[in-house]
Amino acid sequence: MPQSSPSAVRRRAVLGTLATGVTALSGGCVRRLRTVAGWRSANQVSLDIKTVPADADPYALRLARQVAAWFRAAGIDAQVTPMASEELLRQVLVQNDFELFVARLPDQFHEPDGLYSLLHSRFADAPGWQNPFGYANLDVDDLLETQRTTTGAERREAVYELQRSIARTQPFTLLAFPDDIRAARTDNYRNWRTADLNSPLGYLSLARSDGDATPAAGASTLNGGDGTVRATSNSNSSSPITSSTATPTLTPTATPTETPTRTDGTTGASEARTLRTATTDKRATENLNPLSVEYRRDGLITGLLYDSLGVETGDGVEAWLAESWAFSGGGNAPSASVRLRPDLTWHDGESLTAEDVAFTHRLLADTSMETGTTTEDEGDTRIPAPRFQGRNSLVADVRATGTHTVEFDFVECEPKLATRAFTVPVLPKHIWQERTSRASVSGIEIGPATEAIVTNNIPPVGSGPFAFAQNTPRESLVLERFDEHFLFEASTEAGFPAQPPEFERLSVQVVGSDMTAVEMVADADADVTGTTVGASTVPRIGRAPDLELLVGRSETPFILGHNAGRPPMTNPRFRNTLARLVDQSFLVDDVFGGYARPAMSPLAGTGWVPDDLRWDGENSVTPFFGTDGELNADRAREAFRDAGYQYSDGKLLEGN
Amino acid sequence: MALLDVVLQVGAGVFALLVTAAVLVVGPSRLRTAPRTVRANARAVAPVFIALVVVLAANGVIRDIGVELSWLIGLNITGYIHAIEGSTVAFVQSFATPALTAYFGFVYIFGYVFLLVFPLAAYAMYEESRPLRVVLFAYITNYGVGLLCYILFVAYGPRNFMPDMVQPLLYNSWPQAQLLTSQVNVNTNVFPSLHTSLSGTVALLAWRFRGVYPRWTPVAVFLGVSIAVSTMYLGIHWATDVAAGALVAFASVEAASRAADRQERGESLMPSRLRELRE
Repeated sequence: MPQSSPSAVRRRAVLGTLATGVTALSGGCVRRLRTVAGWRSANQVSLDIKTVPADADPYALRLARQVAAWFRAAGIDAQVTPMASEELLRQVLVQNDFELFVARLPDQFHEPDGLYSLLHSRFADAPGWQNPFGYANLDVDDLLETQRTTTGAERREAVYELQRSIARTQPFTLLAFPDDIRAARTDNYRNWRTADLNSPLGYLSLARSDGDATPAAGASTLNGGDGTVRATSNSNSSSPITSSTATPTLTPTATPTETPTRTDGTTGASEARTLRTATTDKRATENLNPLSVEYRRDGLITGLLYDSLGVETGDGVEAWLAESWAFSGGGNAPSASVRLRPDLTWHDGESLTAEDVAFTHRLLADTSMETGTTTEDEGDTRIPAPRFQGRNSLVADVRATGTHTVEFDFVECEPKLATRAFTVPVLPKHIWQERTSRASVSGIEIGPATEAIVTNNIPPVGSGPFAFAQNTPRESLVLERFDEHFLFEASTEAGFPAQPPEFERLSVQVVGSDMTAVEMVADADADVTGTTVGASTVPRIGRAPDLELLVGRSETPFILGHNAGRPPMTNPRFRNTLARLVDQSFLVDDVFGGYARPAMSPLAGTGWVPDDLRWDGENSVTPFFGTDGELNADRAREAFRDAGYQYSDGKLLEGN
Repeated sequence: MALLDVVLQVGAGVFALLVTAAVLVVGPSRLRTAPRTVRANARAVAPVFIALVVVLAANGVIRDIGVELSWLIGLNITGYIHAIEGSTVAFVQSFATPALTAYFGFVYIFGYVFLLVFPLAAYAMYEESRPLRVVLFAYITNYGVGLLCYILFVAYGPRNFMPDMVQPLLYNSWPQAQLLTSQVNVNTNVFPSLHTSLSGTVALLAWRFRGVYPRWTPVAVFLGVSIAVSTMYLGIHWATDVAAGALVAFASVEAASRAADRQERGESLMPSRLRELRE
């Protein structure tokens, strides 16, 4: 160690004072000792980036390692720690035990009000995707409130200002919006291009390939062997609806030869009725609880198992379990009267009523259901569900006013925005009311979680178009079509947002990595890769004659999340400077092979982004210190020094 | 079914290797007397053999619990391993050629299964039971130590930690193989390399018992070294895992020899001091 190191000097000073103190033992010396010892010696800033291994995600670990390399170049002691997906979310979202993490932001945050639960300071201490960063910014809080209560230009300006503020203060650093790449087979199912495979509705819109002689227009194979062919199908918004017009009607009720129980014995025919997916995410085979935040990726499987009052279609929320709703109420806080469809049933045969809907919203707000009814000594601690808090925070009160009618009172917000609350899954009261007690392991209550949050919920009882059939933990999951679902009749209504599924079973097969998933599809052991695959598999997909390469824009960016509760990330200036160590354009080219888009706002691609936050070759808010991925360490150091930090031997020191 | 295809392929390949080696290494005369010697050896080592079966069965059951337990109490040492050895594995991979990849992929799957099974068959056909007994004891030790380490440590292999520098060569060239390997183990269990420790054990014992089957010794040593290198070459294990695996191999061979000595002298397997305490 060089002799001039300030920490060494300081240590020597402390030791020297100690020695003097022991020999002299005079009061003055002890006072001096206290004064000197009050000054901590400065250590190098050390940051640990948590993320998932390459098997679980083709990009996350490479992103983390590249970011860590830039941080090291700027004098920060940065490491990467890989861990399983559920473990990462448990440590980050539940235990708040992290400094930095790299993960994909779930898609519910890809709209202005989605940011409410992601960044509002009232959620800073809440577990789950509710402000996992511990970010607190009073200006941002005000803007988040404003966008809830205003409309038109006023709301737009608030959303613009909100994004500008986020871009400067960096609760998280955007890395890129990756393209969703998948491989699909066209011999059993088609219209892959128009189906949004991130949403349950997209899966419902898949049509069988047999039954008509000519393949669908979208079934042409893309031979992008060199990786330069880019097919950008419109995978968000309203595509699942438009696809229904492009397919010949082939509803199960119209084909009497198809019976749920297959007796022909040929494996080909029995497999043909199953939609087989190969996925790298094993979590759905172990846990199907819609409230378990660490086990949910995009809520696709639970979205097929559970219904909600309304569904997001890209043009707003359309009625689903609800037959209709009507908003009323003076002032700013609206009320809504929701009428359910008649004859709704759960998978276990019980009927789904307004009481279930009201129960669900009370459960989401407090899974212990103790509020109001509890006695003094039991305490009155709410235990909110770690998911759906953003949407549920719109709801002030819910009452079942009849078997099929529910009254909603909302907080101060616009009615159109309030309909977001209708998209949470409705849970059966007769199952979940037993789950409001504190969770226990072998009879011993551990921690503050309720059974509702920790149960693996297998077998699940939902009301969705698919019901649970069987699972083998870590290996497979099979869902079966629920033929009593209302959608088989409702799909004839004008404007109904879905059509009956043309497959009877959905099987999820877990594989080790994205390359193996592609190989399963290529070998006709699966119809589609259930999870998205990495850019490196694109040549392989392009070479295979029967495979269709699906590339769509994604709404779920990779982010580098900061724990704003831990120094030095508590300092927005520090976070802002950290963001300038990241070259997004380089990441897009190097890690994603071009299959991604850089962005300055989490709302990129929504039409809510102001002109000054549109990507124009470089990040104009936090421009990279360097060029082409090469960090200019001198400029980085200068910026950190300007922010009040010091360097010693090229190491960035923690502040005192 | 893709998994079944892989299992059948590996089964057929290993069977062909076993038959070839039986003829060349064990030799026609011992094969002729095999029914008698195998029966005699089976009687002699039956308790140890049953113990191995129990350990393997327990391994299968505990492995599922072990993964959960490992996340609860285990130490994530991936970063430390990387800090120790840096990009050693990337250096090994810098020599990659398609031919080498094919070779190491072959020894990693086929060669490994063959290397573990053949000594059991070959030593069972030998006139004395000691080599078979030592092999069985050594396998038990390997699996026991491996299981314990897998619970205590969480570690991802280089292909999972530094995908920018280390390619998953096996799974790139033969993706279906991952269907098989993920059945056998999970990707957090890389420290130590059980591939290395078991192959090393077989190679060390082949050297120790080189008088038994002189032709087997060079084959086992060459295959053992190839398998140890293949785990790094294919990006599955760190050099640290391989070094730790080699240590486990030495230790288990030593422990197995002593255990066999004891058993052959008719002593209890419990250490003498413990027995004194009991008496």
